Amino acid sequence: MVATAAAPPSKWYREEARLDAVQCPSCGGPITRSGFGAIEKVVCPYCGSELKPSEHGTLALLQEVRRQQRQSILPLHARCTFEDLPWEIIGIVWREVEADGHVYPWQEFLLYNPYHGYRYLLFFVYDNHFALGRPLDGAPRLDAAFGRRRASWKRARFKHFQTSVARTIYVEGEFPWEVRVGDVSVAHDYVDPPRGLSVEENPGPDGTDQTYTEMQHLDGAEVFAAFGLKGKPPRPQGIGPFRPNPWRRGRGLTWGSFLVLAGLWVLLSIVYAAARDDAVVFDKTNLAFEPFVEEIEIGKPGDTTTVEVEFWATPLSNSWAYADIVLVPHDSDDEAVGLGIEVDEWHGNDGGESWQEGDSRDDVVLGGMKTGTYTLQVTPQAGAGVGTAPPPELRWGIRVKRDVTMARYVLLSFFVILGFPLVLGLLSLVVESQRWKNSDYAPSS
Amino acid sequence: MDGAPAQSFCPECGAPVPLRGTAVTAVCEYCGSTIVRTDVDLRLVGKVSAILDNGSPIVLGSRGRFRNVPFEVAGRLQVGYARGTWNEWFLTFADGTIGWLADALGQFAIVRPRDVAIVGGRVPPHVHVQVGATLTIDGIQLVVVDRRVADYRGSEGILPFLAEPGVRYYGVDLRGPGGEFVSLDYGQRPDHAYPVPYFGESVDLRAIGLHPLRRFQGWPPPNAPGPART
Repeated sequence: MVATAAAPPSKWYREEARLDAVQCPSCGGPITRSGFGAIEKVVCPYCGSELKPSEHGTLALLQEVRRQQRQSILPLHARCTFEDLPWEIIGIVWREVEADGHVYPWQEFLLYNPYHGYRYLLFFVYDNHFALGRPLDGAPRLDAAFGRRRASWKRARFKHFQTSVARTIYVEGEFPWEVRVGDVSVAHDYVDPPRGLSVEENPGPDGTDQTYTEMQHLDGAEVFAAFGLKGKPPRPQGIGPFRPNPWRRGRGLTWGSFLVLAGLWVLLSIVYAAARDDAVVFDKTNLAFEPFVEEIEIGKPGDTTTVEVEFWATPLSNSWAYADIVLVPHDSDDEAVGLGIEVDEWHGNDGGESWQEGDSRDDVVLGGMKTGTYTLQVTPQAGAGVGTAPPPELRWGIRVKRDVTMARYVLLSFFVILGFPLVLGLLSLVVESQRWKNSDYAPSS
Repeated sequence: MDGAPAQSFCPECGAPVPLRGTAVTAVCEYCGSTIVRTDVDLRLVGKVSAILDNGSPIVLGSRGRFRNVPFEVAGRLQVGYARGTWNEWFLTFADGTIGWLADALGQFAIVRPRDVAIVGGRVPPHVHVQVGATLTIDGIQLVVVDRRVADYRGSEGILPFLAEPGVRYYGVDLRGPGGEFVSLDYGQRPDHAYPVPYFGESVDLRAIGLHPLRRFQGWPPPNAPGPART
């Protein structure tokens, strides 16, 4: 056993890192330093002077500035919770882009946790939206498909939204990198709401530095809750690039329930069709072309049913037949029901090619008919093309059925079922068109 | 071949020096001298420049687990370049292999050395690498995110090579669309196409269960790791 030597001297860079308060060498304002050792640049919140931490812990004055402190929506050193971790605002940058003669400003809050690095909280002043950015753990694949630029990162696909030139207009606090008022960078924003991906380019001596940031939309209420703030967050305007489309939120559920309802609809339609009597209450054929009246029984009185009236004429040859049909109820005060059915048949030869069209039978289905006795009046007519007459042996027939399957009912119920996802889809399209109106892909700007 | 490694002592102050495994150099915990292992003995290289406190949460001796293999943080190389400093932590894995934990701007990545033949002659020399360009390495499309000329600033613990303060070296970092992180170490010359490749991925300190970590005033210490995760 070797005799134990004196314990090695403790190293200060392994001991607890201490917070530090210094005075701004320019204005004398108190500066709390919360960024520990990684800070490259400090901008005095009070006067805007640019300071650089030295290796001995003092702040060296890089450039003296005299500006007023400006009020951001959140203050320096405020703490919050995101990703189940605590964070502190150690730096604030205001930036803006100019497009179509408008200025779009936002505030960027640099969030710091000594164990987990940095995040960015963005507050878009022009529409009151928030987003949380985190450095991407890699580089997205950037390419284009169908003429549209896109970014792929792991399993996510983002569409290019816009490319803009951002200018830094205000700075306060601590930063682990160089930052100053007047900095200009090109930012390419890609979206897949509620997520986004931002590729920022800064020209450097060795090429163009690219920084990749994953963005996540946040509701104002989530931000206020994360900071433990009371009161109401500012009301968001418009849709913003990352805000989830409210009409798409339940899209899976909507289409899922549509599928369930559609399945149910098929079943019910089959059951409905199978349960119909489809009973023939009147059937006459081989009738001559003259008015016809007969009393018919459409079920026992006191009920409502569907009625199918079928009319045909044969043999039709380059001619037509028309029946003016009236059903006069005996057992109710309902008005008489009138309908017309036309059938025809045309054929010929056009340049060696023979053709035929028309149909010698047709039907009409009536819904909501009271059951009981009716007088059926039919006034048939027939005719042919110019200079010809209908065949002399032309005869007609009619058949009346009750309790038939009414396609209208079946289809209508389907459209009601389809209506919900369709309307939601339309609303969602409206929201998307509002979102993309502010992108580089606006129809016209 | 000698048997069990004998305890080494600092030629400057006589304190025990924990040189072991593949380590070539160590910084004496007592006097700060840099000691290099030669074939026959330990040689004193000189006083090391002090480590700069750049706010890293990692400390010498932290332990963690990467891809299910436990490791220990055995040394630190601090590197300085135009935009500040960062740390390269030397990791010794329980299976006898080594790796590096890059620690810059709150982002962490663990890389392990691979054969030069994977990239030799097929990547541009450092002087021709453009940041933002895409390179295909070992079949993976990667984007150059950093090309730097850096100086060794200081070190602590043990290291697998001698990193004398002030020595300049050339490196390139690349990242991939699946979270891949690749570092090309061109060594001390930028004009060749045979860098040593280091392959790995970004890591989260929670996910690798690194513990213990440094303490920061005003911040709750992170929880000790629970059951190991990969």
